Amino acid sequence: MARKTRWGKLLEQRTLLLMSVPFVLWLIVFRYVPLWGWLIAFQHYRPGKRLLQQEWVGFDHFKFLFQDESFYLVMRNTLAMSLINLTLGFATAIMLAIMLNELRSAFFKRTVQTISYLPHFISWVVASSMIVNALSTDTSGIVNGLLLKVGLIREPILWLAEGKYFWGILGISEVWKNLGWNTIIYLAAITTIDPAQYEAAEIDGANRWQRMLYVTLPGLKPVIVILLILNLGNLLESGFEPQYLLGNGLTADYSENLDLFVLKYGIAMGNFSFATAAGMFKTVISVVLLFGANHIARKLGQPRLF
Amino acid sequence: MFFVSAFIQREKGICPAMKIRTRSYMPFAMALVLASLLAGCAKDGGDSAPASDSAQAEASKPVTFTYFNAAVAGKDGNTNETVLGKLLEEQTGVNFKIEHLVGDLNTKLGVMVASGEYPDVVVPDSGIDKMLDAKAFIPLNDLIDRYAPNLKKLYAPYWDQMPSEDGNIYIIPFAASHGFVPDMYQPGAFYIQRGVLKEFGYPKVKTLDEYFDLIKRYKEKHPQINGGDTIGFETLTDDWRFFTLTNPAPNLNGLPNEGEVYVDKDTHLAYATGDKPFMKRWIRKLNEVNSQGLLDKESLVAKYDQYIAKLSTGRVLGFFDYGWQIIPAMQNLAQAGNDDRQFIGFPLVFDQGTKDQYLDPPTFATNRGIGITTSAKDPVRIIQYFDNMVKEENQKLLFWGEKGKTYEVGENGRFFRTEAQIKQAASPEFLQSYGFAYYSYYWPMGAGLYEDGNAYFPDRQPEVVEQSYTEGDKTILEAYGLKVFTDVYSPPETRKWYPVWSANKQQGSPEQVFEQKKTDLQRKAFPRLILASPDQFDAMWDEYVAAFNKLNVKSYENWANGVVQDRLDGKKR
Repeated sequence: MARKTRWGKLLEQRTLLLMSVPFVLWLIVFRYVPLWGWLIAFQHYRPGKRLLQQEWVGFDHFKFLFQDESFYLVMRNTLAMSLINLTLGFATAIMLAIMLNELRSAFFKRTVQTISYLPHFISWVVASSMIVNALSTDTSGIVNGLLLKVGLIREPILWLAEGKYFWGILGISEVWKNLGWNTIIYLAAITTIDPAQYEAAEIDGANRWQRMLYVTLPGLKPVIVILLILNLGNLLESGFEPQYLLGNGLTADYSENLDLFVLKYGIAMGNFSFATAAGMFKTVISVVLLFGANHIARKLGQPRLF
Repeated sequence: MFFVSAFIQREKGICPAMKIRTRSYMPFAMALVLASLLAGCAKDGGDSAPASDSAQAEASKPVTFTYFNAAVAGKDGNTNETVLGKLLEEQTGVNFKIEHLVGDLNTKLGVMVASGEYPDVVVPDSGIDKMLDAKAFIPLNDLIDRYAPNLKKLYAPYWDQMPSEDGNIYIIPFAASHGFVPDMYQPGAFYIQRGVLKEFGYPKVKTLDEYFDLIKRYKEKHPQINGGDTIGFETLTDDWRFFTLTNPAPNLNGLPNEGEVYVDKDTHLAYATGDKPFMKRWIRKLNEVNSQGLLDKESLVAKYDQYIAKLSTGRVLGFFDYGWQIIPAMQNLAQAGNDDRQFIGFPLVFDQGTKDQYLDPPTFATNRGIGITTSAKDPVRIIQYFDNMVKEENQKLLFWGEKGKTYEVGENGRFFRTEAQIKQAASPEFLQSYGFAYYSYYWPMGAGLYEDGNAYFPDRQPEVVEQSYTEGDKTILEAYGLKVFTDVYSPPETRKWYPVWSANKQQGSPEQVFEQKKTDLQRKAFPRLILASPDQFDAMWDEYVAAFNKLNVKSYENWANGVVQDRLDGKKR
């Protein structure tokens, strides 16, 4: 009986199924078939030869990755920068979304929105050049100029030469660049909250602050949790361009992350096997994190991904 | 310039996990080549009149070949649409359809290798190993022997360096040099503002100490230039350009720049430079200069564009760099028109009496060149075209153009260009339409001097270079008794193995990893050493040397020794 209804249901939704076929195919062809290329992580791959004619080297590339002294430093930097970006990104975006939602003037709201998400469209190359100039000790450095005027410092600080400032500079730059963009999804989620709830809260005597706290935030919770789970899966992706463009020798101990390490020792050297091995490592960790976060969400009775 | 391309190459290769499968067209292609060779023999052997007539007819039948240039960007087109290409087509009946690289070199060549279909002629630049690995080029020995007497004569001094390890010649390198002519751009040099020299009556600057002394005195006298603080000395440390900070050390010691090692001239043994006394002396000098407030601290973290911007302000008194790396800044300063703010470079040394070796010894780069691919339809016609273009009269045509139109000949037989002709030759549109753009390099060719003593290229001919000097240029040249700016250098000693840095390294090999690790270490350590307070310098230097020796220095030196030995034995590396 159950079987029959399942088939019946499939038959009933055949149009939908048919429509999904191209996308499933796309997924298989472009996301699963290329996985056999992972084989080259266990080879000493040289272009121009067939895959099966390559020299097999076992786990050599993984050994190089894990045994390298800088690997742990690089992992620390990757995780630290990711967590900073994650926390700052979430907190600022949710705050701005709620604040924008409380605005009455549609014109002002739109203006703020547009201005705040404009930097998202600037390439990191340009953005980093702006940041470097702003932090300069020369005449063009607006940050040092301001601090000197206010009297907080006596002589200009070489911001980009100190490792300890780097994570902070990166976090602030990321917020400046992506704040407006990250807000969009929360603003959209807020519009789905039933206005009746606000009315009911108002009748019960809730003030503005209480309405934000007890209506808007709980309404946003499913979106927040889902986004958190998705982002945890990307924890090893702390970005590549800003670190590459803002970092230098003096800050290398703080700025170098997994992507830069792989770029230098894998791709730039034409060592594709090593790059693939590092990519595999990242994928495995990401999958573990994704499932872990999903599992915890389920345990806590929160909305989850699957 | 190979230094540039080698490094840029490292920046460009961003295509992970390229999966390439080669289909073997080799047997087929070889058969084709053989067949055409045999056909060529048959023609030559034919002694009856009609046969040779038809061969003649065939030899001049118009034909178009494809040419791919991976080394530079440029306008694609046909050679016979240009004046020079048309003239060559009239001589040979051959036209080339030129295509330049767009996008990533490795990807483009990878696709070619994977498909097994190539343009007839390829200039693979740094992708040469990929092409050779894939056996994409045909051996040229027999073809040259049979059809290219002029080519053979031109390349005779370098003949033994051209074959690969299997004895076959797969590529013809560019620029078989005859006679030494220095480059128009100054190579490495310590640059100093002309205003500084003028202030102190054009003193001779030979040592590093004298140089910084001048800068110090000038900065004390003129703390501000153009409304900003005067900057004593500027460094360049951005990303792959970091070598600009470390290369001066061996130079100051009277050694040429071979990359990470220097080679003893007598024993031919290579030693890593990273921990040597001359490196310490150079970095310590920078530390001292910094403590005197002469060094721009920010230049240790600045990007290349900031560096160029700072040089362009005219506030920088001195820096070390290579001519090709500062072109935009020099152009900006020239346009600003204040001669005191322009620069002149000197090959400085540590101690009075050391002979400078900043100029590269004449070398013959065997790992860049042009090759005929297995897909070529008619290699004989191509090699005949090459042979025709390297005849001396055609080389003069290709580099100087037509007499009376693009150059003149003086009574003494010296070539020169009038002001109008120089102006004309500076216009990209003219270079393209006349054909100079297609034939300026990347073909089999000579370099240096012609048999009559004229320079191969107009921009190396003193008569032409002098024409382009401003009044200010002339003043300073006169003050120092120079004819051209490159006269400041001592002539280079012969070093047959030079330079070690240009040797090919295998992907992910220990020597490649060493270079990366060494650069990582120095990029962290040297700025710190320079910014440190002078009393801590020695302790920090010892720390750095300890870290340096933890790297695989010995195996790198062994590799370098192998390169030197092989090159001395005439082998290709």
